[in-house]
Amino acid sequence: MGPVQVLVIGLDQPEFTGEVLAELSRLRSAGIVRLVDVLVVARRDDGAFETLAEPTAMTPSRGELAAAVLGSGEDESASMAQDGLDRPRLPTWSLADSVPAGTTAAVALIEHTWAAPLRDAINRVGGVPLEETWLAPDDVLLLEQMMRQDAP
Amino acid sequence: MLLVPRQLRRTGMTGNVPYYGGRFTPAQAYAAAHPRAERPPQPAPADASVVVAGGGSRPSRAEQLEALTHLLGSGVLTEAEYQELRARVAP
Repeated sequence: MGPVQVLVIGLDQPEFTGEVLAELSRLRSAGIVRLVDVLVVARRDDGAFETLAEPTAMTPSRGELAAAVLGSGEDESASMAQDGLDRPRLPTWSLADSVPAGTTAAVALIEHTWAAPLRDAINRVGGVPLEETWLAPDDVLLLEQMMRQDAP
Repeated sequence: MLLVPRQLRRTGMTGNVPYYGGRFTPAQAYAAAHPRAERPPQPAPADASVVVAGGGSRPSRAEQLEALTHLLGSGVLTEAEYQELRARVAP
């Protein structure tokens, strides 16, 4: 399986637009990405999360897979606070870091099928990922300008 | 249905890159854990309450604790990280 990205999108209406779904469908047909599951959540004003039913079924699992991966079903915060020094200090995140109280979000699990061969190739040659990020829009614009200038 | 978010490890597309998303990088954590080491002059922080007196000189224990408290209060450090670094501050 390829790397799976978690995309959290704040929404006024708890649904992806048809345009987004059409693009994801196109990318899947091209073997680029696969929409594994979509979970729609509402965060109440008191901070609690509730799962919402999808207006349209976008994936066969209807959010159950995403809920199982992203939610534990029990409160981990107390145990994590107790053993904080013993737990490996790996950078972590949760939906609670991303979704503000009183808002709704769609959480998509997207498999980057194109990246699996690249990842495997890097592993085979013993490559060690040191950084992986995205260029900021301004820097992308700068890059575009430079590429246009270099074009024959 | 209620959902309790789980803490998930951050990782990159190609593997476990050192992604810290607002957290300490290894270099920053080392610097914070070794306050006696020589460091280049830093630009003044926006919050004047945490300015270390004396320019490049070693900050006092109280100043180090104040800086750590500021980092905890601003969400840069977790409670566990705060306690760990606090214990390392020289008496």
